[in-house]
Amino acid sequence: MKSLIQLRVNGEDVAVAVPQAWTLLETLRYALGLTGTKQGCDKGDCGACTVLVNGKPTLSCLTLAHATRGEVTTIEGVATPEGPDPVQRAFDVSGALQCGFCQPGMILSAKALLARAPEPTDAEIREALSGNLCRCTGYTKIFEAVKLAAAGCERHVPMKYGAPAEGFEVIGARGRKADSIGKAMGTTIYADDIQLPRMAHGKILRSTEAHARLLSVDTSAAEALPGVFAVITGADLPTAYCIIPWTPDETALAVGKVRYIGEGIAAVAAVDEETANRAIAAIRVEYARLPNVSDAAAGVAPGAPLVHEVDWKGRPWESNVCKEADLRFGDVEAGFARADAIVEDRWFYEGSNHAAIEPHCAVGQWSADGRLTVWSATQVGHYLHRELAKVLGLRTEDVRVIQPAVGGAFGAKSEPFDLEFCVAALSRRAGRPVKILYTREEVFYAHRGRHPMDMAFKVGATKDGRITAVESDILIDGGAYHSFGLVTTYYSGQLLTGPVGFESYHFRSRRVYTNKPCCGPKRGHGSVQPRFAFECAVDEVADKLALDPIEMRRVNVVSAGERTVNGLLIPSSGIVACLDAVERASDWKKRRGKLPYGRGLGVATSMYISGTAYPIYPNEMPQSGVLLRADRSGRITVFCGANDIGQGSDGMLAYIVAEETGVSPDDITVVSGDTELTPVDLGSYSSRVTFMCGIAAQEAGRAMGAQMLAAVAKAWGVDEARLRRGFGVYMDREDSGRQVSARDALVLAEAAAGTPLSTAGGYRTRKVGGDYRGGTIGASPAYSATAHVCEVDVDPETGIVRVERVWAAHDCGRALNPQLVEGQIEGSVYMGYAEAIMEAHTFNAQGLHSGPNLLDYRIPTSKETPDLIAQIVESLDPGGPYGAKEAGEGPLHPIVPAIANAIADAVGIRLRRIPFTPDRVLAAIRAGRA
Amino acid sequence: MLRMDGFSYVHAASWPEALALWSAHPEAMYVSGGTDLLPNVKHGLFKPRTLVGLSGIRGGVDADSDRVVIGATTCLDEVASNPIIRAMLPPLAQAAALVASPQIRAMGTLGGNVLLDTRCLYYNQTEFWRRSLGYCLKADGTWCHVVGGPKTCVAAQSSDTVPVLLALNAVLRLIGPGGARELPIRDLFRFNGMDHLAIAKGELLTDIVVPTPGPGFVGSYTKLRTRESIDFPQLGLALCATLEGGTLRSIELVLGAVNPQPKPIRGLEAFLGCSLDDAAIDAIADLVFKQTRPQESIAGDAPWRRQMAAVFTRRALVAVRAAGAA
Repeated sequence: MKSLIQLRVNGEDVAVAVPQAWTLLETLRYALGLTGTKQGCDKGDCGACTVLVNGKPTLSCLTLAHATRGEVTTIEGVATPEGPDPVQRAFDVSGALQCGFCQPGMILSAKALLARAPEPTDAEIREALSGNLCRCTGYTKIFEAVKLAAAGCERHVPMKYGAPAEGFEVIGARGRKADSIGKAMGTTIYADDIQLPRMAHGKILRSTEAHARLLSVDTSAAEALPGVFAVITGADLPTAYCIIPWTPDETALAVGKVRYIGEGIAAVAAVDEETANRAIAAIRVEYARLPNVSDAAAGVAPGAPLVHEVDWKGRPWESNVCKEADLRFGDVEAGFARADAIVEDRWFYEGSNHAAIEPHCAVGQWSADGRLTVWSATQVGHYLHRELAKVLGLRTEDVRVIQPAVGGAFGAKSEPFDLEFCVAALSRRAGRPVKILYTREEVFYAHRGRHPMDMAFKVGATKDGRITAVESDILIDGGAYHSFGLVTTYYSGQLLTGPVGFESYHFRSRRVYTNKPCCGPKRGHGSVQPRFAFECAVDEVADKLALDPIEMRRVNVVSAGERTVNGLLIPSSGIVACLDAVERASDWKKRRGKLPYGRGLGVATSMYISGTAYPIYPNEMPQSGVLLRADRSGRITVFCGANDIGQGSDGMLAYIVAEETGVSPDDITVVSGDTELTPVDLGSYSSRVTFMCGIAAQEAGRAMGAQMLAAVAKAWGVDEARLRRGFGVYMDREDSGRQVSARDALVLAEAAAGTPLSTAGGYRTRKVGGDYRGGTIGASPAYSATAHVCEVDVDPETGIVRVERVWAAHDCGRALNPQLVEGQIEGSVYMGYAEAIMEAHTFNAQGLHSGPNLLDYRIPTSKETPDLIAQIVESLDPGGPYGAKEAGEGPLHPIVPAIANAIADAVGIRLRRIPFTPDRVLAAIRAGRA
Repeated sequence: MLRMDGFSYVHAASWPEALALWSAHPEAMYVSGGTDLLPNVKHGLFKPRTLVGLSGIRGGVDADSDRVVIGATTCLDEVASNPIIRAMLPPLAQAAALVASPQIRAMGTLGGNVLLDTRCLYYNQTEFWRRSLGYCLKADGTWCHVVGGPKTCVAAQSSDTVPVLLALNAVLRLIGPGGARELPIRDLFRFNGMDHLAIAKGELLTDIVVPTPGPGFVGSYTKLRTRESIDFPQLGLALCATLEGGTLRSIELVLGAVNPQPKPIRGLEAFLGCSLDDAAIDAIADLVFKQTRPQESIAGDAPWRRQMAAVFTRRALVAVRAAGAA
């Protein structure tokens, strides 16, 4: 029932005909094209859709368009012709915008706050923003942005506004991100913002059974519905795939059997989403139910039903263990025999979802010549390109993947998903573009989140604190498919061996198929779980030996230039400086163990890879490529396949090219994440982008800078050695009056070259890692180091744990832009805090998710999130660009054990299972169990 | 995105018009703030053919020496910030300020919060999820997954303001196809999660009338939840009492989010005339513990929530004792 309504939006009267059941959100986005208002949770749980109605923050997803009266203000209505609103600029300048997806709503809530409280207190800010969930920032930079806006923020600020590191012009300076002002304005295009002419809407029919044979899938009634353009089933896309090419055990839609509730069975494309929903409801599926495997322990029990009967080579599976790693380094038995104290126990790490605020979305379109374009919210455009070609049976030459802005990922979007294959197949059949946008529920079924791990750990140390032996036996709940499972299984052992080292090590890890959504790589892939167990065990050993936990860690550090027990070479490490920093900041020596009952401090450490030394599929080509194109305009365009998922890789590329050429970062355009326009980069995973794309950008930038320098020297008829570059000009060392701007240097260079200016750079794999089976997994060109201390308040009557503040010191090599590094640290700590305190991705015995929505699956709001104090430590890495290494994943690891250790300090209990829910804490306090 | 489909919308400018529109449209439902109703429509729990919008009917707060009258369409943020309510009924302002998130308080109304549907982990889910489960007693099915039986639905009363309004002995003004009437809020609720409201089809809540507490009034609302925003209560405790120099002259304790109906604590009259000393506080907390039986229909371990009822009671009484002494 479409009918006309009159709305007043951003000061304009508009008349629009929309169905009476449409919300204001649907009307703004899909009828008026005001796509700055975002959709995250479907039903009022996340705040991304916040607009102002008569000045009040309002959830447009729960407001009927036909019921709306009065003045509606969306993010597009906030700026004026003079430029961005000061609040928008403050968010941009403060680094408050990472993925940017929650920010239009957040900015409008901030606007409403500042309208009624021009100088808000911290508590008022936290309260006013508490209905807007952010998954990237830990809210820290958002609070700073609101304060900056209240204090007054310039409308126009250059991209680089801070002071650079010594000896540099751009590197080390605080600065804005390449794309953040667009996000603050609501103009940045995300996948669901794409509207193509004649575009159809797809939906995927999902299994209501956790484990069943598919007897029949009858799509005839759906095909007969008016407005339905195409229907496909698993039989249309039978080619198996996997992000890891060795283990292709998954198809785009189920073939023969379903293995979890929520698995795709069929897909439709129709004139609108409502019709598509009716069409999938009309598909009849006949199941023959099979007994389901509910968790890893059930999966390895004798007589357990098999989730997969045969593997990708047709070999029968004998059990549900889909990957086992069992590695020994040194003499573990002798190590324990020498130990003066041994801690042996079991820890359990619960699963969790990434819960990026943007749900997955993809759009497919075919050209008249049979070439496919897919726009997708992906963090691995290159791998998606390859898998689309494989599954659709196309030449890679005929596939193009474009990554629009991504509204948060954290590993959730790091492999191909059913919707990408379905938009491709449906749009081919329908002869028109097709979009599929997941509901929040579907995001939880797509999952690929943190693996639940049941971990037996044994740690022994001598009286002086030296760790002599570590042994672990880990059972990993993998879900229905392999995903990155081969890597996960190795990571659960391989990445534990620093920065706190040990003399001997044995780990066995087994990943088990279960009838649940597939687990995968969530931020800190595979290593967050054992890190929890290990760092808690180390604390307990320290207790037994009456050693200070920080001191005990210092005794065992693996220093720069050393190898870990499993053969990983650590080229640089700032772990001691990190420990010193958090020890000092938390006043550890005076307070740890001495605070009143209920208050405690805890420490933990971690390291993480800066990219994997080897690509996912073996090849000799560069892991990352950068092309620069420049001309007489003075502007340089950077082309790179890197997927900016909010972390700021586009900005990083611009800073590096600016550093190397003298061109201002404001005069650099970055084109990224388009397989047809940009050179290959393998994607945003394993914390590889700054390190590898950074090297590629540095190489390309240096080549461009050299051409510019040579052209100036030639024009002046002087030796190149006489020239120097600085502050955006090229000058003569011997005649300080003689100088040209970078722009004029480009003019000279273009003239000298006689061709358009173009340079290239690449990151080539260096051979590193242990010389044993599995020794390449976990091998990285560089490792970050992190130490956290956190302070908790435990209410002994309720069991409620309040994490008051976290001091997080992270060694990122060199901070190319400290503001972005801080943002990564804060966001990581936030995400780990959430896992420790509240998140639990759980299922009932039948394999049904316990609450696939953002009301039942709780992620922290601005109110309970602790004060996050990020401290950057720089141990320059010899292999990284300007010494840089990763910052996006390492800082997540220590917070979980640090909280557990702080709870032990506060109330004397050792918690070995996350999340630390108040009922568990209270029960442990009452049991008096230490 | 979860889409809604298949209903028309009509906008009412007054209570009589709303009633007339409801009567004129089969299978109609009222919608005010929409923050409770629309998620249920999106989940396929309600399938109205017409929604009658009440957002055009102005709310407001009025008071005389005996009572405070709050229009049902008054938004929760206004209830929280209204100077009359803050001065005369502080626990109500406190409860309204603790509902969900700032946006939901700006949209949701006090009337909607009073009539909030009961909530359950097995009920407030999508149609797909509930089909995978095999549905539940409250919607489309025959089995309660909480108690494991075919008879009783224990979906939880989840409003923050209801326990306070019960403790304050509020009276509801209703109009309906059968005329106007007044209903003490104590008589509104039934121990039946499927059908927890004793109101007739088409009846509209127009005003909430709260008797003004007398001198010596102290009160509070305490909310248990995982996050400090957005979440529904896992337990709510309303305390309204009158203290005269340290002596208890009246006391009402009402728990929310434990059962399908709010839970007034019985037997408190034994403490009237007593001094609110530590022994009395412990005895009252003990009484609350004995009478509280939270169900696993919502988040939070039920035995723990029961223990928290006692802890909250003790803390609330200690706080009002301090406030009364001040």
